[in-house]
Amino acid sequence: MSLTTDIGRRIELVSMDAHFHEISIALYRQEGTNGPEYLIHTYSQLDGAGKRVEFVARAMVALGGMEAVAGDTRRVRFPCGNPHQFACRRIFLEACKWDPAVGLESRPLTIFDKKSDGDLSVVSLGDGAYRITGDAEGDKAAKRRSAIGAGLVKLGEMEWAEETEERFSFPCRQAHDKLVGLLLIRALNVRGVEREQQMAAARGQLLAPSAQKQ
Amino acid sequence: MTGRERVLAAFRREPVDRTPVCNPTSVATVELMDLVDAPFPEANRDPEMMARLAATGYTELGFDTIMPVFTIIQESSALGCKMQWEQKDNWPTVRMREPIWVEPEDVKLPPDFLTHKDTRCVTDAIKILKKQYGDEVAIIGKTMGPWTLGYHCFGVEPFLLMSLDNPGKTKLCLDRMKEATIEYGMAQIEAGADALTLPDHATGDLVSGEYYKEFLLDLHIELVEKLPVPLILHICGRTLDRMDYIAQSGMAAFHYDSKNPPSEAMEVVDNRIALVGNINNPETLFSKGPEEVRQEVYQNLDAKVNLVGPECAIPLQTSIENLKEIPKAVKDWHRDHSTPN
Repeated sequence: MSLTTDIGRRIELVSMDAHFHEISIALYRQEGTNGPEYLIHTYSQLDGAGKRVEFVARAMVALGGMEAVAGDTRRVRFPCGNPHQFACRRIFLEACKWDPAVGLESRPLTIFDKKSDGDLSVVSLGDGAYRITGDAEGDKAAKRRSAIGAGLVKLGEMEWAEETEERFSFPCRQAHDKLVGLLLIRALNVRGVEREQQMAAARGQLLAPSAQKQ
Repeated sequence: MTGRERVLAAFRREPVDRTPVCNPTSVATVELMDLVDAPFPEANRDPEMMARLAATGYTELGFDTIMPVFTIIQESSALGCKMQWEQKDNWPTVRMREPIWVEPEDVKLPPDFLTHKDTRCVTDAIKILKKQYGDEVAIIGKTMGPWTLGYHCFGVEPFLLMSLDNPGKTKLCLDRMKEATIEYGMAQIEAGADALTLPDHATGDLVSGEYYKEFLLDLHIELVEKLPVPLILHICGRTLDRMDYIAQSGMAAFHYDSKNPPSEAMEVVDNRIALVGNINNPETLFSKGPEEVRQEVYQNLDAKVNLVGPECAIPLQTSIENLKEIPKAVKDWHRDHSTPN
């Protein structure tokens, strides 16, 4: 008899969890009555695997500002009811990376940026809109802020405001401060994130001997 | 029909109640490894684990076949190649930069070739699977062809250069290496394999159709004579230019890549050999969703391809729902086209 059932569309996978016996943990999307819900799931039967999955769900709530679906310790959603699927995948990956020995705490909206040699802050402007401010002045610093804004827009599937290139917002017009804090550190190096994704995608593909790096 | 009857009939190109879903190569994934606690690399070296993981292709995914030989390196390990076994989420490989043979005289099967841990693992796993599932589904083994063994044991570049500089010497090497193909294949048949996949990577990117004819066609005809079960030749890449030759080899089936449109491939082989495979791995099974998988299955069924399945060993991170979609789509297509195939 089959042990696997239909649990929705898998949208992200951690093949080998660094914090629990290298089990695979996946994120599945399901359609709930109040918008999409995301199930964190492992097929591992090891003792403690269920608790590990529950920790990842809690971490997604704490780090990414999601909320637990009532009565389910492994299912989360965004309070606004919108999918934000790309951002959710990022929250999941970050939650799996989080060392369980360290307390769960959301990341601040201010970060030190080596390239501009100063602090950068993301300021919430209401209605789901944000702007980046920083200590450094001049064209170079402005360009850097713009680049990081573009990184946030890409990672969070946000939109630039039409009237200015400094303001961007979530399409749901709701604030997601914890999510922005989580994405900010990755927005400093979006290429690094893309490289990581490419490497993860290439891993596990069997190549013909003639196509293998020797 | 049982899955086994269906698959074996399709290999003979006889009528079937529905198109069989067949995996001549691996359908193992990291999630299935977790489900049955049989992770790589151990599942490639321990027969119980190997059998457990392979069985999920039938018990979980609903395929008509079970194929326990996930890798392409079992016999190369037994031949003495340097191995990189990797981790759960990646494929073991042969370190081809450190070849073990240079001259035809070097080609020798070690006395423990069939009792080596990595070859024995496969024959023991086949015995387990035959006992548990042998009446229900076709158990498919795998023995590597001499061209692939040449890459592994001589190194890709030296082997290809040898084929250009000294075709006679290359043929001698292939002739000697084919003994490994036969011995390992026979051992799996004796263990209970209903059919054997025979990967021989004369791939479209490096080797032409005429090369296939010159170096491999006669050898493959000989392998068909020596190995008394249906053989499924597997060659990756665009292979339309050699399918006419492949169809003359006497192989029961050709496991073909998604780079070859199903209808064109069917036209070339012209019912002289069964075709199997074609569902794209990297772009469809790995990266897209069940709807796209279904479309590709339908393209194959519309073209009357004999057996449907992934084009090659699936990426280890492939989602279970995409794999389950293959048999679902096959059943739905047949329900909608109710005349028997």
